[in-house]
Amino acid sequence: MNTNCIEVKNFTKKFGDFTAVDDISFNVEQGSIFAFLGPNGAGKSTTINTLCTIQEKTSGELKINGNDVTHQKDRVREDIGIVFQDSTLDGKLTVMENLKLHCDFYNVPKIEVKERIDFALNLVNLTDWGKTPVDSLSGGMKRRAEIARGLVHFPKVLFLDEPTTGLDPQSRANVWDYIRNLQKQKDITVFFTTHYMEEAEICDKVAIIDHGKIVAHDSPYNLRKQFTSSKMGIKTSDKDGLVKYLCNHKIKYKPDDERIVVYATDIDDVLEIVSVFKETIEDIEINKGTLNDVFIAITGKEIRG
Amino acid sequence: MIRPIKAILLRNLINLGRDKMKLFMNLFMSGVFLFIFSFVMKSATPGMDHPMNYLISGIIIMTVFQSSLTNSMNILEDISSGFMKEILVAPISRWQIAIGHVLSSAVVSVIQGIIIVVVGLFMGLNIDFVHGIAMTGMMFLVGLTFSSLGLYLATITKESSNFQILVSIVAFPLNFLSGALIPMMALPKILLPIAYLNPMTYATAAFRYISLQMESMPTAAVVKAGVAFSINGFVITPMLSALVIFLMCVIFVSLCVKRFNSADFSRVKVFKRKH
Repeated sequence: MNTNCIEVKNFTKKFGDFTAVDDISFNVEQGSIFAFLGPNGAGKSTTINTLCTIQEKTSGELKINGNDVTHQKDRVREDIGIVFQDSTLDGKLTVMENLKLHCDFYNVPKIEVKERIDFALNLVNLTDWGKTPVDSLSGGMKRRAEIARGLVHFPKVLFLDEPTTGLDPQSRANVWDYIRNLQKQKDITVFFTTHYMEEAEICDKVAIIDHGKIVAHDSPYNLRKQFTSSKMGIKTSDKDGLVKYLCNHKIKYKPDDERIVVYATDIDDVLEIVSVFKETIEDIEINKGTLNDVFIAITGKEIRG
Repeated sequence: MIRPIKAILLRNLINLGRDKMKLFMNLFMSGVFLFIFSFVMKSATPGMDHPMNYLISGIIIMTVFQSSLTNSMNILEDISSGFMKEILVAPISRWQIAIGHVLSSAVVSVIQGIIIVVVGLFMGLNIDFVHGIAMTGMMFLVGLTFSSLGLYLATITKESSNFQILVSIVAFPLNFLSGALIPMMALPKILLPIAYLNPMTYATAAFRYISLQMESMPTAAVVKAGVAFSINGFVITPMLSALVIFLMCVIFVSLCVKRFNSADFSRVKVFKRKH
């Protein structure tokens, strides 16, 4: 089933003279995880806010589950769950009261409310904290409570705007565990933005946005293949022979201390080198390109700058 | 359709109940008004059947007015805490949000009014059950009217410090030119036209009429007591006053809902909390 859950066509958003998002188009498949990456001010939040119906587009067509975000706001809102960058929980209410309130807003059938709250709290490991006021939870727990709330009405699409910013590495890992867990159980589509490149590796498709335009849109694997090369550090007793070989075959390299770093784009080259210098190689280390390298290659800057 | 309104109403009441400081301040302010004004103003009401009823009823309606006007601070707190976003992206209409807030603010102000009534009973306030019910109804009407005005002002200012200033600017003249504290008879002639434009004047008049149990009094006596007004010979009876307040209520609620519907909350200044 390759139906598109999110469809964006020629979406443009202007604030006065400033064009925040410039004519972008992309689709997100039902049941997939989609990462939206870009430097600060690239148009990520504008896109998310427009998809979430809290901001009006300037032009273009945006659809969630077949419903237009401008003309069928309520239908769209029923289908989506959102975890914003900043906390939007009511601090004075307990975790459970927050979730209950959410169920009232989303018209969850009254007899299912209790069951669903238990399910959502269990999913993020907060069952024991249900009766605690949100204000007295730690940052990581608040985030989890927020994710639980975003899920309790069983949305078809879950939007996460930098869900792990400000969390310690362990909580960050947990958050992704919960999200993957849920995605498997309920087959929901996940759309997220993040500052941490390694987190984007878990997704099915990545779109990189810069200056309001989508500059790359593919799977993390394809992006890495296309925009980065593997680095192979070789330590060999026949250094001169290797350099001569690399020059002859026009393969890029760089001497690094007692090693030669070879930039290999083709697996055949790698295997060839290894088989030719089999006898003299003392050590070998292969580093695959990361999404961060992709990001730098495309936008010319680190995501946090 | 009713469920989200009820949810917002309940949530605001729970929140107020948990905010001990705010709760205490609200009660304290009413208490201060009650004691100070009832003792200070006692001398200003010579020759009245129920002087305490006259004074306390003014204080009750003023408390309801003041409280309903400021209760809309809630929505500004929601905006700055981020909770407003959660409400805005929910599949509920703006008017439901507005009505939920107006209702909760009105209910809170009525509760405050009733507390003063109860305290007043020990200070010489003299009312029966039927009049008590009628008073509560009137308080609710006034609460709704000025909660709407409060919410309207809140959506204009969008910031709590500005809102407080604006509320004081609005509340001060409405309060003092309404007859609630200073009897209309004591106002300088030049200020009377302004007082007649003031919705609070009619709220006070209608409310006093009920609490002083004046149903059997002739119109002339009611006018003399400052509870009905004769403007160039046209007498605005307390019944007409109640009608004025009812119309005001309808107008203010619809204005507020209309304003709330088109308000843009997405670019409101939010005080970001560090994680």
